[in-house]
Amino acid sequence: MIKNKFLLTLIILTSNSVFLESSNLVIKNAEIYDGIENNPYQGHILINDGVVTKISKTSVPYADKVYDAKGKIITPGFIAPDTQLGIVEIGALNVTRDDEASIYNIGFSIHDAFNPNSVLIPWNRANGITSAITLPRNTSSPIGGLGSFFLLDSSLDISSEADIVMIGRFGGSGSSSRAEKLALIDDMLSFASSLDKKDMSSDASIDEVIDDSSLASHMDFKPRDVKALYRLINDNLPLIIKTHRASDIIKLIELKNTYNLNLIIMGAQEASLVADEIVENNIPLIVNPINNIPNSFDELASNINMTPMLEKAGATLMFNVSRSHNYHLIRQGAGVAVANGMSYGGAIKALTSNVAKTFNLNNRGSIKVGNMADIVVWEADPLEPSSMPEKVFINGVDTDLTTRSTRLRDRYISDLEKPNTYRN
Amino acid sequence: MKNIYIFLYFFSVFIVAENYEPFESTYEPLPPTNTIFRNANIYDGEGNELIDTDLIIKDGKVVAIGVDLPSSSDLKEIDATDKWITPGIIDIHSHMGVYPAPSVKTSSDGNEATSPVTAEVWAEHSIWVQDPQYALALKGGVTTFHVLPGSANLIGGRGVTAKNLQRNTINSMKFPNAPHSLKMACGENPKRVYGNRGQMPSTRMGNAAGYRKSWIKAESYLSKLDEYEAKSEEAKELSYKPTRDLELETLAGVLRDEILVHNHCYRADEMATMIEIAKEFNYKITAFHHAVEAYKIADLLAENNICAALWADWWGFKHEAYDMVQANIAIVDQARNGTGCAIVHSDDEIGIQHLNVEAAKALSAGIKAGYDISKARAMNWITSNPAKAAGIYDQTGSLKVGKNADVVLWSKNPFSIYALAEKVYIDGAIAFDRSSGLEPSSDFDVGIINPSKNRIEE
Repeated sequence: MIKNKFLLTLIILTSNSVFLESSNLVIKNAEIYDGIENNPYQGHILINDGVVTKISKTSVPYADKVYDAKGKIITPGFIAPDTQLGIVEIGALNVTRDDEASIYNIGFSIHDAFNPNSVLIPWNRANGITSAITLPRNTSSPIGGLGSFFLLDSSLDISSEADIVMIGRFGGSGSSSRAEKLALIDDMLSFASSLDKKDMSSDASIDEVIDDSSLASHMDFKPRDVKALYRLINDNLPLIIKTHRASDIIKLIELKNTYNLNLIIMGAQEASLVADEIVENNIPLIVNPINNIPNSFDELASNINMTPMLEKAGATLMFNVSRSHNYHLIRQGAGVAVANGMSYGGAIKALTSNVAKTFNLNNRGSIKVGNMADIVVWEADPLEPSSMPEKVFINGVDTDLTTRSTRLRDRYISDLEKPNTYRN
Repeated sequence: MKNIYIFLYFFSVFIVAENYEPFESTYEPLPPTNTIFRNANIYDGEGNELIDTDLIIKDGKVVAIGVDLPSSSDLKEIDATDKWITPGIIDIHSHMGVYPAPSVKTSSDGNEATSPVTAEVWAEHSIWVQDPQYALALKGGVTTFHVLPGSANLIGGRGVTAKNLQRNTINSMKFPNAPHSLKMACGENPKRVYGNRGQMPSTRMGNAAGYRKSWIKAESYLSKLDEYEAKSEEAKELSYKPTRDLELETLAGVLRDEILVHNHCYRADEMATMIEIAKEFNYKITAFHHAVEAYKIADLLAENNICAALWADWWGFKHEAYDMVQANIAIVDQARNGTGCAIVHSDDEIGIQHLNVEAAKALSAGIKAGYDISKARAMNWITSNPAKAAGIYDQTGSLKVGKNADVVLWSKNPFSIYALAEKVYIDGAIAFDRSSGLEPSSDFDVGIINPSKNRIEE
């Protein structure tokens, strides 16, 4: 459930003066990539109280405020599916990292660590990312750790959806055989499947379940861990497993079918070798379309043509382009995929609606009546990294595109007659 | 008798030293593909944009560039209408070969992180020539790359410049007559690596002391060497040549202006400190690398004739990389009336394949900052400027008549994400051809997934 605190947000934001309120707005004359259709269309979008209430292809609906997007491409705000936004400020500085737990494992949630004032948030928003899924670091357990969805509106009244996904990883590591890891995942899923509602009634009853299971005792499960495993099976919680090797993907598909998992595979550098199996079993993929490096012996088939090839095979694709703090580079990755043969509309979907569908973000990721108005107006082709957003609307609010980076820039190119510390 | 032995000893050393330089380049180009490109759009790497222009490459060199050039029977004619030509792209900061793919311990050979000063090591002695990454970079238009040791050490060792033409030995890839370079590193990395072991340096002031102590040793070594070399032949016979010291030999090479200093350094204040140290010991810093804060001291860099090799947008992975400004490259370029030297570098096996797009991002940020910078000038950031920083600008880095024919033919304007390198020439020989499928593959790629195919064969 989205914690929709939109009205309260508006009140806070207007007093903040960082954002311009707009309860009633029309974006007219836009070339709309809606995230649903492959091809764009010309139209006018009416937004009331943050929600798209009308899309007209003919006359311009009346609104208090009008934004003319003539000649501009608009897209849904991009949703980054694999980030550490809000929980890691500086990678190599542990005191700014909140992506790891020391006691909880499978049930570890990063949700309450999210910092909406992180400088990464305006930076990624100004580059067209309006919301993101934030994931913890992988734990010692092959599956475990919960990620959450966040709006990147920089509001202390955080709009989020908590614990919408569990993560895991599988492959060669040098510590123990992948066969053991697979057996362990299998045992954990078997334990999760054995849980019933009665077991979950209280922490005391969960403690009993743990005591009765040699696996749960051995792995030192806590009630939070068991609750997360219960949700994995009973709520069909999306499970992202990072893996690459073709034979490993096949093994995960077997597990998916045994336990009816809502499985998403991330990385998947050898997916092209098992594309048909992936498509037949409806497994969405989070891939890095720009990564063609055989970076491990699990990723030998790594190939720049993989993403276009998977699209042709019919796979549901999403992107992660891990370049430190620049989660927005998923659009550069999308551009590289298109340069190598992916369809343009397909690339836009990979940045928007495919993420929303996969993670059940029901009112986001596409421009349609009833959806929240997360909309970006681009100065030119959004898949050209040299083109930037001209406007970024989140929940229909025209957000500030100033970043710490543009502030620092201005400090060193203007008012140079003043000592730098006395500049703005 | 004894004197005769001494004489013979020195004579033999003399012979060996004069006739054999170890690790010389044995590079030989592929057979030339003499070609006339018709009606191309050209960024020449000298800041010029030439529309509907012809280019002739012959016997490895750029022979002519102009409108309606006469053809001849020995030239293959390529219609380059609506296509773009640039010089071969040069990456001034690569770890290909020393951090090859796959990234595994057994071939991770970029940092001799066992002592804070290892000026004696040479990156070329670590390079794995079967790294599958060279061919990928070639498909991104990279014809020359400069490999540096990593940044764990204050003074990490010598770098090497290579042609991106994969061969069985590093000597046969080395760029002929390219000067050697020296990797130095500021900031968090050396102080973290050695500080964590409870040894010096554990602070930035420890870093600074470390460089200065090394240069003092180098000065002393150099003066002994100078003193010996100034002696007459007779006097040399009667004295001992100073014992070779690999570490100090490298540092003395810097003090003699024979070895170029490439200095990993993020923070503006540290770069200013490094400039002071260079002045104290009278050596030149060729380029600061990564330099996320270069924009804060762009004028100082321009005044000291120091290039800054930068990313378009990486930041935040370390505290010293927190103050990222996307216009960094443009601000450096425009300093002191456009006399700054800006370079877009990769330091990355993926980034090296897309340096044209990285330059496009940096240019876009510069234009947004209010600078009037042309695409033709931005092309210098990945061609002539890195050539200058590698000391090979007299041979490559721009399409000037007489220079090496290192040429890329692009499907579209190379500042577009959709542009693909269609043909890449190194020394006038075709090394990659997208349409015919001509591309190199390393031994690593052969039969490793399917025995009858190469790794990424379609």
